[in-house]
Amino acid sequence: MKLKSAGNAPWIFAAIILIAASLLSQASRLRAEGGEPRYFAITNARIVPVSGPVLESGTVVIANGLIQSVGATASAKIPAEAWVIDGKGLTVYPGLIDAGNDLGITKPEAPAGEARGRGRRRGAAPIPEHISTGPEDRPSTSPWIVASDDLNAADKRIESWRDAGFTTALVLPEEAIIAGQGSLIDLNDERVSQMIVRSHAALRIGLRPETFGFPDSLMGVISYLRQVNDDTAWYDEAAPPYAAHPNGIERPNVDRTEEIMTLILHRKEPVLFPANTLVEIPRAMRLAQEWNLHAVLYGGQQSYEVADLIAAKKYQVIVNLKWPEGPKDPDPEDIPSLRELRFRDRAPGSPAALAKVGVKFAFSSGGLADPKEIQKNVRRATTAGLSSDAALRAFTLDAAEILGVSDRLGSIEPGKIANLVIADGDLFAEKTKVKHVFVDGRHFEIHEVEMPHKPGEKPGESPQESNDDPEVGR
Amino acid sequence: MKRANWTLVGAGLQPRPPFGPIRAANRSAAPLARAPRLTALILLLMLSSTPAITMLPNLGLSARADSEPSVYAIQGAKIFTLAGAPIENGTVLIRDGKIAATGSNINVPAEAKVVDAKGLEVYPGFFDPITQTGLTEISAVRATNDISELGDFNPDIVAMTAVNPESAHIAVTRSSGITEVLATPGVRGFDTGGSAPTIAGQASLLNLAGWTNEQMTLGSSAAMVVNWPSIESRNFDYETGSFNERPYSEVKAEYDKKVYALGDYLERARHYAQAVEKGSTQNFERDLKLEALIPVVEGKLPVLVVAQTARDIRNSVEFCSKQNLKMILAGGTEAWRVKDLLKQKNIPVILGPIMSEPNEEDYPYDKPMTQPSELAAAGIPIAFASFDTSFSRRLSQQAGNAVAYGLSHDEALRAITVNAAKMLGVDDQLGTIETGKLANIVVTDGDPLEIRTQVRYLFIKGQPVSLENRHTELYEKYRKRP
Repeated sequence: MKLKSAGNAPWIFAAIILIAASLLSQASRLRAEGGEPRYFAITNARIVPVSGPVLESGTVVIANGLIQSVGATASAKIPAEAWVIDGKGLTVYPGLIDAGNDLGITKPEAPAGEARGRGRRRGAAPIPEHISTGPEDRPSTSPWIVASDDLNAADKRIESWRDAGFTTALVLPEEAIIAGQGSLIDLNDERVSQMIVRSHAALRIGLRPETFGFPDSLMGVISYLRQVNDDTAWYDEAAPPYAAHPNGIERPNVDRTEEIMTLILHRKEPVLFPANTLVEIPRAMRLAQEWNLHAVLYGGQQSYEVADLIAAKKYQVIVNLKWPEGPKDPDPEDIPSLRELRFRDRAPGSPAALAKVGVKFAFSSGGLADPKEIQKNVRRATTAGLSSDAALRAFTLDAAEILGVSDRLGSIEPGKIANLVIADGDLFAEKTKVKHVFVDGRHFEIHEVEMPHKPGEKPGESPQESNDDPEVGR
Repeated sequence: MKRANWTLVGAGLQPRPPFGPIRAANRSAAPLARAPRLTALILLLMLSSTPAITMLPNLGLSARADSEPSVYAIQGAKIFTLAGAPIENGTVLIRDGKIAATGSNINVPAEAKVVDAKGLEVYPGFFDPITQTGLTEISAVRATNDISELGDFNPDIVAMTAVNPESAHIAVTRSSGITEVLATPGVRGFDTGGSAPTIAGQASLLNLAGWTNEQMTLGSSAAMVVNWPSIESRNFDYETGSFNERPYSEVKAEYDKKVYALGDYLERARHYAQAVEKGSTQNFERDLKLEALIPVVEGKLPVLVVAQTARDIRNSVEFCSKQNLKMILAGGTEAWRVKDLLKQKNIPVILGPIMSEPNEEDYPYDKPMTQPSELAAAGIPIAFASFDTSFSRRLSQQAGNAVAYGLSHDEALRAITVNAAKMLGVDDQLGTIETGKLANIVVTDGDPLEIRTQVRYLFIKGQPVSLENRHTELYEKYRKRP
C-alpha cells in the first residue's frame, strides 16, 4: 500500500472497500497532478549509512528524489514543506539491492500441449527470443537484448520485493550462451523509463550447452565463446578503418554480436560468468582472465571451497541466495549423496568465507519466488558466520560498487539517490518489520497485514489487491 | 516333468552340427588321431603370441543322421563334474545326447569316437540365464530387434517363436563355452533397449546349436518375465538434458496403480484357472494371456522379476510372497541391502554384469564386484547373466572377476552352470556332469574363469559343435592379408 497518510490505514483495515478505493485514487490523483510530496524528513531515527559510522539518533532529509542531508536532528535543515516522519524506534538503512533476478522479465511461454522428449522435432516449437535469427546465425547469442527493453512494470513481484526493503534490482534476461544485458532498475512503481538506473548494467553469459544443435557440449560452448571473443577483437580493429575510409577496403561482415560485444568490452560492463561450484569458479576465473573480461562470478555458492583463490585473483562475486536444497516432496528412499548433502549444508557458509578473505560480494535472489525466502536465506548465511554488517554491505554499498553505481546508490550520503528502507529493528532479524521504503525519494508505507502476496494467495483474489494496482488513477 | 509348460524337444531330434567344414571332414573319415597334431599347432600359435583362436579340430564325426545313435568318449582330462570332487585323468562317456558315464575307470565301447583330452579340463557347459540371444542381431538396426512387445501385460509372448537360429551371436557365444541360454523378452540389456512391459512374456531355454529354433529349444516356457514397476522420482528430461525431480506423492501414486493392476491381472488369471479346472470354459472366452499365466499363479512356472533398487526388490519380494509366486530376482544391483529378506524368503538372484559402477556415488566403489561373494556368503543362490547378446560371451569373465573380489572359485563355477539350472528347475538335465543329464559339455585348456583360457571342444546335446564363428572368420581373413 502506498498510503500518503496514516489516517487512511484504519479504513483499509475495516475493508470498506469503496471508500478505500476512492481515497486511494485520490492519493494517486494527487501524485499524478504533481501534488505528491517531494520533501521528506525522517527524524530521531537510528541511521545506518553503511559508508560511515552509525548515528544513534539523527535525521535524513530527502529532496526531489535525492538525499539532501544526513546528520544530527538538531542541526538538520528541514524544508518547510517536508513531510516529517517521526523515526523514533526506527532504523534507516540504504535501500537493498538485489543483484540478479528476473523481476518484470516475462518468459516466452511454451505452447500448451507441446510434445516433450526426444521425439520432438527441432523447429516444432516457436523459436525462443534469445536464439539469433539475424544475419549472424550464431547459437543462443543475443547480446543486443536489454532486459529493460521488455520490462513488465506490472509484475506483482516488484511490489512485494519493495515491501521487503528492496529498492533496486539487477534484472537479467533468461539464461543463454550470450543471453543479453541485464538492467539496473529502481523498484519505484513508475513507468519503466523512470525505473531504469542503467539499462546496460551487466552482460549475462552462460555455459550450458544447447539441447538441440551446436554447441551441445561444454567444451563446444567454451570454444564458441573463445571464437566470439576473437571475432570481437577483430571487429574492434577492422571496423574503425572501414568506417573512416570505406573506399578501398573490403566490406566487413555485419555481425551485431561483434558490434555490441565491442561496446560492452569498451565500457567495461561487468560480465556475469556462471560460477557456482568448485569446478565452475576456477574455470570462470581462468576464462575471464584469458578473454580479458571484467568478469563477476555469478552464483558463488561453493565459494567456501575456493575463497582464497577468488581473493588471490581479486574477483568479485554475486552470491545466489537460492541455497541448494532437496526436493519439496522427496522420495524417502532416494538418499542424497554425501557430496550433495555437504553442498547443501555448507553453501550458506560461502558469504562468510568470502567476507573473511576480503572478497567483495553481493547477493542475488535469482530463483527465489518470495522475498520472505530471501530474508530466511540471508539468516542462514548469518547463522553460518556472516556478520549482519557484512550482509548489509553486500546488499547495499558492495553491490553498488560491483555494479559500478556506488556514486549514486548503496549508502546514505548527501547527493545519492534517496533509496531507503526504514525498519523497526535490525533489518536481518526475524521479527523486524519494514515500515517505510523510499525509492527515488518516493514514499511507500508498508502495512504488513496488507502485504499483497501472502503465500498461497493468487494475485487478483482479494479485493484490496485490485485497489492496490499501481495503474489505478494514473 | 514336474514343471508345467515344459515343452522338451524330443531327444530324437538331434540337431545336426550347423557348420560345413565338419561335415566335409566327416566324409574324409579323418581319424581322431589328427587331434593331437592340431593341439600342438594351436599351442604353437599361442606361443607365437598370435591371438590363439582355436577351432574345433576336424573330428570328422558330425554328419551322422539325427536318428543315428552317437557315442563319444572324452578321455584323459581332469573332469570338473560340479557334483563332487574333480576326477583326475577321467573319462566322460556320451551316448545319444546324454551323459552315459563319468569316472576314472570307464569302459569305453568300441563304437565310441574318442576325444583325447589329455591335459585338458572338462566342465559342464555354461548357462547364461538372461540374454536376448536370437532376438536381436544389431541393436542399431531396428529390423533385427525383436525383443519386446508393446503393452503392459504380454504373458502370451514366447521368446523362442522369434529366435533367429542364424544369428551370428550364437556361434560367438558358444565358442566361449556357453552351451545354453535363456532368451528373455522385454529385458533391457547393455546394448538393447526397447520397452519393458510389466509382464514381458515367456523366456525360452535354448541350446546354442540347431538348424531351427525348434531344434534349439530346450524349453519354450522356462520363466515368466516381470519388470517390476519402479518409483521413479527422478526422470530424465530430454529438453534440458538433466534429471528432473518429481514429487514423491505423484510418482508413488503412479507406482501404486501399476502394482495394483499387476495384482488385479494375476487375480483374473486365478479365476480363469479355476474356471478351466472346473471345466466351465464354455462360460469363458478363451484368453491366451490369462491361460499363459495359469502356471504362474499356480506357482509352477518361475517368475523372473527384474528389479534393481533395494526398495524395488523388497516390494517385489513381498508381492510375490503374498501372491505365492515362484520368484527369481533378476538384476538386483542393490540385493546386498536386502540380503536378509532374500535369504528369509529363499529368493535366488541372477546378477547382471558386475563390471559396473555402483548405483549411488556413496556406495563402495567395488560393491558390484563384491556383491556376489556377499550374497553367496549369506546363503543366497546366485547366478551370473549377461543381460545381453553380443556380450553374453563374457559370462565366465564376469564370474572370474567375482572370484577376484572374494567369491570362491567353486561357487563362481556353479554360478555360471548349475545354479541357474536349479533356479529354473532344469537341474535334472543341465548344470553338472552326471549320468543321465544332457551332454552339454565344454573342454578347455585351463581354468575357464581365466580370460586367456581357450575352449577346445564343445558338445551340445551330445554332439561336437564347431567353434568357428564370425570372430574366427575375421581373424582368418585378416591374418591372410598381405
